[in-house]
Amino acid sequence: MATPGRLATIGLFASQELTLAVRSRWTAIFAVVFAALALAVGGSGYILTGGLGLQDFARTASSLVQVVLLLVPLTALLIGVQALATERGAAELLFAQPVARGTVVVGKLLGLFQALAAAQAIGFGAAGLVIFSQAGQEGAGGFAVLVAGSLALTAIFLGLAAFIAAGNVGRRARALALALVTWFVAVVLFDIAALGVASLLRSGHASRLLVAAVLLNPVDAVRTGTLLGIEGDAAFGAASLAFFRIAGGRTWAASALLLSVAVWSVAPVALAIWRLRRADL
Amino acid sequence: MRIGCAAAFVLVAAAAAAQDHMVAPGALEGRPDARTVSPLQALIDRAAPGARIEIAPGTYVGDFIIDKPLVLVGRGRPRLVGSGAGSVVRVRADDVVIEGFDIDGQKGGDLGRDSSGIHVYGERATVRDCRIDNALFGVYLREAHGSAVEDCVITGIPGRDPGEKGSGIHAYNTLRFRFVNNVLRDVRDALYLQNSSNGVVRGNTARDMRYGLHYMFSDDNLFEDNTFENGDAGTAVMYSERIIFRRNRFLRNRGFASVGLLLQQCDDVLAEDNFIGDNARGIFLEGTIRNTFRRNIVAQSDIAIVMFASATETRFEGNLFMANMSPLQLVGKRADANFDGNYWSDNSEPDLDGDGRSDRPYRLTNVFDHFRGNLTAADLFSDGFAAAALATAERAFPVLQPVNALDHAPLARPPVLRDVPRPEGREGRASVPVVGASGAALLAGVFVLAARRRPRQARGLRRSLAP
Repeated sequence: MATPGRLATIGLFASQELTLAVRSRWTAIFAVVFAALALAVGGSGYILTGGLGLQDFARTASSLVQVVLLLVPLTALLIGVQALATERGAAELLFAQPVARGTVVVGKLLGLFQALAAAQAIGFGAAGLVIFSQAGQEGAGGFAVLVAGSLALTAIFLGLAAFIAAGNVGRRARALALALVTWFVAVVLFDIAALGVASLLRSGHASRLLVAAVLLNPVDAVRTGTLLGIEGDAAFGAASLAFFRIAGGRTWAASALLLSVAVWSVAPVALAIWRLRRADL
Repeated sequence: MRIGCAAAFVLVAAAAAAQDHMVAPGALEGRPDARTVSPLQALIDRAAPGARIEIAPGTYVGDFIIDKPLVLVGRGRPRLVGSGAGSVVRVRADDVVIEGFDIDGQKGGDLGRDSSGIHVYGERATVRDCRIDNALFGVYLREAHGSAVEDCVITGIPGRDPGEKGSGIHAYNTLRFRFVNNVLRDVRDALYLQNSSNGVVRGNTARDMRYGLHYMFSDDNLFEDNTFENGDAGTAVMYSERIIFRRNRFLRNRGFASVGLLLQQCDDVLAEDNFIGDNARGIFLEGTIRNTFRRNIVAQSDIAIVMFASATETRFEGNLFMANMSPLQLVGKRADANFDGNYWSDNSEPDLDGDGRSDRPYRLTNVFDHFRGNLTAADLFSDGFAAAALATAERAFPVLQPVNALDHAPLARPPVLRDVPRPEGREGRASVPVVGASGAALLAGVFVLAARRRPRQARGLRRSLAP
């Protein structure tokens, strides 16, 4: 029997990982929680704005952004680490197979991504049904940006999970703790630190620092890009214009955000593979 | 203070004179010459004063002057196409009525001569049910006391720079005017009022211009049920007293320095039941005394209220402040204002005794106010989780200098303000393609998760084991 090609091997790992992820209770819980929150926000968005009839869609979608920013990185990190940081002894068995370690990692990540994307599709689909059966298609573009941002966050934090797992082969508890710390830093602590440092600097430097911070942290990059996509320049008031000016125009700002997301999607995976290759199992 | 006011008056007057508004009486556009005159001129010249003339449908090219009391009525909407040399209709007598025409200004004339669709220099004129396109000014009233503009649709010159076109309706030195149910767009300033008092402005809609309302030295005017939307600068009211704004909508003024409603050196203004929404700044007060804001909705502004220390004795009662990025910006560290019984959507103080008011006063501040002054980019983080964490921390350990503005008895629940007009809902219909795509995404997700839920062999095994 001929050994399957590299791509086919990746496919095999992806398929197996997808099956495992789907049967995991965590994926089911995530799917249910995400769908419930998305539905709740989508359904109540019109009430929360006081029924003012003004930018209702934008406010609803902005609330969905908060759900995504909070939940998606956390889930991707936890499920990713659960799946990739194997129990003691399992890694030795797995990597003893005649398959490159990179192939294993990429295949597993693809499978996990499919599972999480499917879970999010349920939530977004349900929210979209509720929102767009009331609101018409005006916000469809912004909603698409939000879905894309959510998928990007999934990819980025799965990659980070792989990186954490690669450094903690056989130490799952430690990997999980590291994942939680990573989430807290990326979602809350980083912004507070950026604002704290910025408040010590002079105005011009401070603004540049904050814009750099937005581009550096993938959570901020996705948040900024998504909110600008949904609400336009009104998203951050004058700060939107400051952002465009410092980034050198709208096109450059969008490119910089995309570049940040792209680098964060690829670099952790590459580093994880490099780390695994060097690991002495 | 008074000297400052006087100086400002002189400056503005000089600026106005330098602009174009104060044309010497001799510069009024007079009788059009033979090349530019409309065929209707002969008809008008033959009519007896006070006569009623009906104009048949058709296109009439050229300008004309009305120099006696006259009622001019278009039947079947005749088109008056200007010569392009100046005002199309020039009213130079009292008691003139113009009704039922479509007027095309041909982008012609001169801002310095106030070239208009209809230029009125006479008292008690009525312009009704006219459509005016491509004119520098739509209707210009000059010393036209007691005149009315009703049910007109005035569109300026789309695409032309605001500085190179005139106002929709321009009132200069005109008392007791009435502007009712007009629609204005693509003009410099939709309504421009100067030295024009005791008037009524009701039911007008103004969109896509520089200022929706540009206003000075005009007292005792009443504004009801108007909409001012999408202005580069917003609505600016200056150097005037005793103005009433009721049930108006100030919407989507999103320019860098736009304001929903700006009051500068204005005293005793009452604004009630207005909707001020989606503006860069909602309300702006400078050099004002005794103004009252009651039962308005101020929503989704970057800053709800900008207040200078020179704004004194302002009252805010029973307003609904919803989803503004910041409630208040003080210029000068002093707020001589009384906030009482307003609803603030970011007030999270509970109402444990159930009296409808929060148990503690609401401080009109936001952590980001302390950054915003010299750090615009801080707002990039204003709706992140860090902002929420900072706000909570600041409430628990107040280290920042407190803003001296409190609502002593904030409403715990949003008040029902039935009289406040709401913006029209955008397209309320369901969108089939997007709803379909959402449904497809939902089904695809369910399918992927369901298909792998149980292994096939196991299912087969269970079937084979079933009795």
